Amino acid sequence: MNQISPGFYPEPQPVPMTRDQLRARIIALFEEMWREDRDDEPVTLENDTVLLETGFDSMAFAVLVARLDDELGFDPFTMTEDPVYPQTFAEFLDFYEKCSPKPQ
Amino acid sequence: MFAQAAVKPIGASIADRQLSADQVLVEGAGRTIRAGDLEELIGRGAAYVGKRIGLCLTDPFDCVSAILALDGHADTLLLLSPDLPARVAEQVMAKAGGDHILSDRDDLPGAEPWGDQRLDEVTERALARNTQWLLTTSGTTGMPKLVQHDHASIVRSVRTIAKAADARWAMLYDPSRFAGTQVIAQALLGGGTLLIPDHRLSTGETVDWLGERGCTHVSATPSLWRRILMAPSVKKLALRQVTLGGEIADAAILSALRGRFPEARITHIYASTEAGTGFAVRDGMAGFPADWLDQDVDGVRLAIRDGILWLRPAADTMTSAEHIERDAQGFIRTADRVTVDGERVMFLGREDMALNVGGTKVQVEAVEDVVHAHPAVAQCRISARPSAMMGNLLTLSVVPKEQAVDAAALKRDIASWCRDQLPAPARPATIRIVPEIAITAAGKQQRAVHG
Repeated sequence: MNQISPGFYPEPQPVPMTRDQLRARIIALFEEMWREDRDDEPVTLENDTVLLETGFDSMAFAVLVARLDDELGFDPFTMTEDPVYPQTFAEFLDFYEKCSPKPQ
Repeated sequence: MFAQAAVKPIGASIADRQLSADQVLVEGAGRTIRAGDLEELIGRGAAYVGKRIGLCLTDPFDCVSAILALDGHADTLLLLSPDLPARVAEQVMAKAGGDHILSDRDDLPGAEPWGDQRLDEVTERALARNTQWLLTTSGTTGMPKLVQHDHASIVRSVRTIAKAADARWAMLYDPSRFAGTQVIAQALLGGGTLLIPDHRLSTGETVDWLGERGCTHVSATPSLWRRILMAPSVKKLALRQVTLGGEIADAAILSALRGRFPEARITHIYASTEAGTGFAVRDGMAGFPADWLDQDVDGVRLAIRDGILWLRPAADTMTSAEHIERDAQGFIRTADRVTVDGERVMFLGREDMALNVGGTKVQVEAVEDVVHAHPAVAQCRISARPSAMMGNLLTLSVVPKEQAVDAAALKRDIASWCRDQLPAPARPATIRIVPEIAITAAGKQQRAVHG
């Protein structure tokens, strides 16, 4: 998909991350996107937070997943044969943890 | 028999069934239309006999009620998406030669509210007129194109879906869209009830509302289905009919729906504003059987020429528009790219530069024009990136005029520039600052487009 000559824009290499590191990255990006669009304070993502009730619509979540792909080097939603539709933040995080590269 | 049914207006067809007066036909948030309300409702439509009426109603309940009242009275119903900017809505009305515009918006000059029509103003009584329907193509940029349907092409698909008097259909499309008209026709001519959720609810609240009302039949785009599956209250839905349309229904979403709704019949419909309803696939697999290319399918004929699907609509489906490309045999060029893969014909996407982002067609070149106008941008290129939730998202590559630019600041600035000028699906999800953009031999920017 990326037709720019290699070298100019290196694809991110997936790096192993712990669950807490993944959680921190996802929350940071979520809050960054929130502040791009709105003036109020971002909601706190807890384990049982229902994703569709955060004020982010599915378009915003799709953008979050795309930006996480650019940053982390993987998109779990395009990696699995079985479709996954996480409803809570914990399920979302579980899915990233399950698909993240494991330390050698 | 079908030819006779075809000219009968929707409201009159329901009235003919002699339902008990308290039978609910349409249920909205706190409002209903019962069989006993029909006569008065249709009477209100008679205020517009023979007129060319534009409908631009943000409230889908009002839109359905106006359609029921006006079909068979109005000469032409011009269905305008409530999202159209006022200036565009006025231009479309002028182009269509509309006499009246009925709207609940306050930014449309001369708009009349729907619902104030008094019966004593009616001078001409109802005629079973073959109302022409003018629909606009979906899209986020530029002037929408108008496509004319006659009444038969709107109600034709009712034949292909089994009638069920106890069906409770969810209205999740805007009624002004072709797919929306199909849900209205199937629910009400099929003998069922149409459930219209408040359009201001979130997806989760909508699913909850539908579950509480015993919804059994849902028609939605694959993108909307993915959202529905993410709503915790999806477990409240006991569906018997799952219909997909408007985008490619891939194997993943079909299998997810099969898992969630094991009792439901799953149908994906190929239809377009231009061609009307094409055909329905019911075997739960993506694409359609290759042997359909050699036979009549629900009255439709299919052909592949140069990798593009051509479709000859059923004989009683009459659509017309300036931009439709039709050959001497009546085949319409759909602009959908397809490939034969064994015994299946699979959809690859649109051949033009339109990308489908969550069910909305985005004209890639129009987005590039917006980005090009940014003072710091020398060159830019939009490409598609696959998204499990939206089908596609846009990735923007930008070559800045000054190479020594602060990339992070420029990305933020371009993102904000796009937010001010483009609707959400047309905004790039990710932005990359690059030193150059590859050019093809033909001198065009390379672009990877996935339907």
